[in-house]
Amino acid sequence: MDNANVYLPKLAKIIQIKEEVGGARPIKTFRAQFLNENQFVHHCGQCAMVSVFGKGESMFAISSSPLVKDFLQFSIMKMGRVTSELHTMKEGDIVGIRGPLGNSFPIEDWKGKKLIFIGGGIGLAPIWSVLQTALGQKKDYGDLMLIYGARTSKDIVFKDELDELRKEMTVHLSVDVEEEGWKEFVGFVPQNVTDKKPSPKNAIAITCGPPIMIKFVIQALGDLGFKDDQIYTTVENKMKCGIGICGRCNIGMHYVCKDGPVYSWAELKELPQEY
Amino acid sequence: MEKILQKKAFPKWVEKLDAYEIYAPVKKDNYWSYEIINTSGDIGLDFPNTVQAPKKIINPQREVFLEFGRSEENSLEVTEVLPEEKSGVIFGVRPCDAKALLLTDLVFSGDIKDGYYGKRRKQTAIVGLSCNTPPSPNCFCTSVDGSPHSQDGFDILLTDLGDRYFVKSLTKKGDELINLGKSIFTAPKDSDKKELTKIHTESEKKLKRQVKDAKKIPPKLKEMFESPFWDEESMSCLRCGICTYLCPTCHCFDISDEVTSVAPFKGYRIRTWDNCQFPDFTMHSSGHNPRPDKASRLRQRIMHKYQYFVERYQNYQCTGCGRCVSKCPVGIDIIEVLNKVRDYG
Amino acid sequence: MVKLEDLKKEAKRILKSGKVKYIIGYAKGADGLMPIPAFIKDPDGADDLTWNPACVHNLTKFIVDEKKRLKQDKNPDNRPIGIIVKGCDSRAINVLLQEKYIDREDVYLLGVSCEKTGVVDEKKLAKKLKGQRAVQIDVEDNGNFIVTTESGSEKIPAEDVLAERCIECKANFPVIFDIVFGEKIKRRVDNPFQSVEKIEALPQEDRWKFWMEQLDKCIRCYACRSVCPMCYCDECVVDTISFVVEPDTTAEEKAQKIKWIEKSPNLSENIVYHLTRAMHLAGRCIDCGECERVCPLDIPIRFLNKKMEKDAKNLFDYEVGFDPDQPSLVSSFKDEDPEDFIR
Repeated sequence: MDNANVYLPKLAKIIQIKEEVGGARPIKTFRAQFLNENQFVHHCGQCAMVSVFGKGESMFAISSSPLVKDFLQFSIMKMGRVTSELHTMKEGDIVGIRGPLGNSFPIEDWKGKKLIFIGGGIGLAPIWSVLQTALGQKKDYGDLMLIYGARTSKDIVFKDELDELRKEMTVHLSVDVEEEGWKEFVGFVPQNVTDKKPSPKNAIAITCGPPIMIKFVIQALGDLGFKDDQIYTTVENKMKCGIGICGRCNIGMHYVCKDGPVYSWAELKELPQEY
Repeated sequence: MEKILQKKAFPKWVEKLDAYEIYAPVKKDNYWSYEIINTSGDIGLDFPNTVQAPKKIINPQREVFLEFGRSEENSLEVTEVLPEEKSGVIFGVRPCDAKALLLTDLVFSGDIKDGYYGKRRKQTAIVGLSCNTPPSPNCFCTSVDGSPHSQDGFDILLTDLGDRYFVKSLTKKGDELINLGKSIFTAPKDSDKKELTKIHTESEKKLKRQVKDAKKIPPKLKEMFESPFWDEESMSCLRCGICTYLCPTCHCFDISDEVTSVAPFKGYRIRTWDNCQFPDFTMHSSGHNPRPDKASRLRQRIMHKYQYFVERYQNYQCTGCGRCVSKCPVGIDIIEVLNKVRDYG
Repeated sequence: MVKLEDLKKEAKRILKSGKVKYIIGYAKGADGLMPIPAFIKDPDGADDLTWNPACVHNLTKFIVDEKKRLKQDKNPDNRPIGIIVKGCDSRAINVLLQEKYIDREDVYLLGVSCEKTGVVDEKKLAKKLKGQRAVQIDVEDNGNFIVTTESGSEKIPAEDVLAERCIECKANFPVIFDIVFGEKIKRRVDNPFQSVEKIEALPQEDRWKFWMEQLDKCIRCYACRSVCPMCYCDECVVDTISFVVEPDTTAEEKAQKIKWIEKSPNLSENIVYHLTRAMHLAGRCIDCGECERVCPLDIPIRFLNKKMEKDAKNLFDYEVGFDPDQPSLVSSFKDEDPEDFIR
């Protein structure tokens, strides 16, 4: 690794594009396969810089599990220059991938514990890798639960996979407002957490979503008795180098791209509230 | 090794270094700048300090990372563009600027190695000039664990003894450079060594400004994150880029793609200096900005240099060169700010 | 003579009355000659005010800053801001009024006359003092400067160290004010464009070489733009990343934003930056000289803007900053204008 150029991306081909959500802020899930490299090994929660040559690079969480060796999966919302170009790409187009970057969820420490996944909107993507890994190694973990919600049913990602998921673990979905045909919980995700009352006994909660949702989820979990080191989340910030030296993504002393993006609430609340 | 170099013979030594690219301080209009000199006669070290630190040679403001384009067969090709293989020597680097290079090494050549910086660093020798008198009225190197005759970061350190330099080689690279000019150097006499010690001891007393008890500052800063102190101090800040671009230890950068031709498709991915004082430095694509105002950005600059870097690397990320104090358009004075922080509350 | 005591008295008076939010003035710096901009919020703070020929800063930039900050404020304090303005600075206020960026009630102007002299050019002074460091500068009645260094005081004729723009100054007495200090003394200026004409007189090849050398030095620190009161656009046309992003800005808008120049600080991008900025300041620049003063690499930026000012005067008989009600240069025309495509 010492001789490798940390700024040089490896080329990968897009092998599958799936439209998850349409509308003004569409979300697509991309699967990319390296042209040459087959030694890319990542851990749950790590990210990669995806390059669209001519436009730039952006950091995305790898949402496929490390158990999957054939491709890397990213779920990407159309936000600006790089992502707009990604959304026009077709299967067979080439992108660059730099990574794996950042730290990972300490899933080794969670063996034997119950895992409760709490996601909002596209926030399901960063924690999807942990969820899939836990499912793939089901006997190593306790019961698995997913509490996930979006603004409307049209904004729910991984719809097909969620139906499959119900066969193997508890899945509680929600939408923010009443909708015709919606039979599950109506309300914000933190309210759903309070409603479903997951027990903190021998459990770890992993949450990701819009910052305001994370804030209230952490509060709701605290009310249910979860300790600060039982709650894990991922943080995002504007990033460029991905390796902790361009000086942009820091929260206090930490570089989100290197010391993060995975933090327990116990660690995160010690950092200056600047994100 | 220790040698004496007569000032008259200095150009002769530079002549022997024709395999190297020579950088030296050159006067441009009203200010000094490190430029490539082509004639050995142009070498001279009678200067205060340069406006821009020598970091611009090792970590240039624009660096090409890679080149991308579509070949004739329409396949995408991406090739890295490494810095040119060319040995260089920078003459006249002051101790504050040399120490700054060591601090940047901690970042760029730490557990993850930046190959571009590393290559330039390896192929450039640093020949310094110790400060008999402070080059600037705003120097404060002794307050941040530095000194006007510190040897940190040098391959060779020169001290001006009037008509001659006391030459001290500190690394193998330095020895090689001296050996190239063998007969030009002479052995130092005892009187030379005595003069050297006298100059060095006196130079430390000549600094006019200082930040007393700088050790108290990092823990104080940690408590002051939410303080309204930053609003008051940053009121006159203009959000320009002078303090960070001139600072020898500042290293933040941006990576962007420059497309030079659309058909055939061709372009470069480049690194350019960036600046935490610019308003959009931390702005997310969504428009959310964790540092939307001047107060949070000034706080970031001071805390990065005097608390975060200290926590991570046990060193201040400031070598007391005083450039930011001298050149700030509105006179925001880091020495004053630090003194206020230390006594705050 | 401008009496500092009178200035302080007035400052205290209006602060006590609560008529103004705060006063922007000059206060002594921590070290050395140059004062710093100060924001005086209460009457006792007015004792910190200072006034001398080193008060070069154009404080109107902070009025622009405050205007931007107020937009974000949930409970804005809309009281006027007191500000100390020299003649040139008061012209800047007029341009801001002309462009309706501020209203007359937003500012309380404490005008100060430069009388026979003006402000000092720090670099010229340093050359004159041959390495000695000035710690104080005062002005005598007869128009000499008294400069105090670490080794004593000396008298220096003002013309030797005056800023170039003061030698060419058209407004040594404020053109708009609520209260003024100092007398109106007419200064004879033979040629307000003499410095620009020196460069114009060069043959074209030499002029091109001069500007290419100068603009190549630029490191795009944007200090020139940051200090200019007229550069108040939220979204600067020559900036590649700064643009206003609202919650409803679409991805397409962000993706399709035109990059007029790249981030690279090389000659071609620097030329676009400086020349575009000069064009955007045509008919708006009041020659406060701040852009040139703050440039760390001594690029003579002021000449570009001065050339625009000369063309505005000679081609269109347009003077900047004397009349807050005049139309802007580039969005108005007269029948006598030289171009005929508009007819």
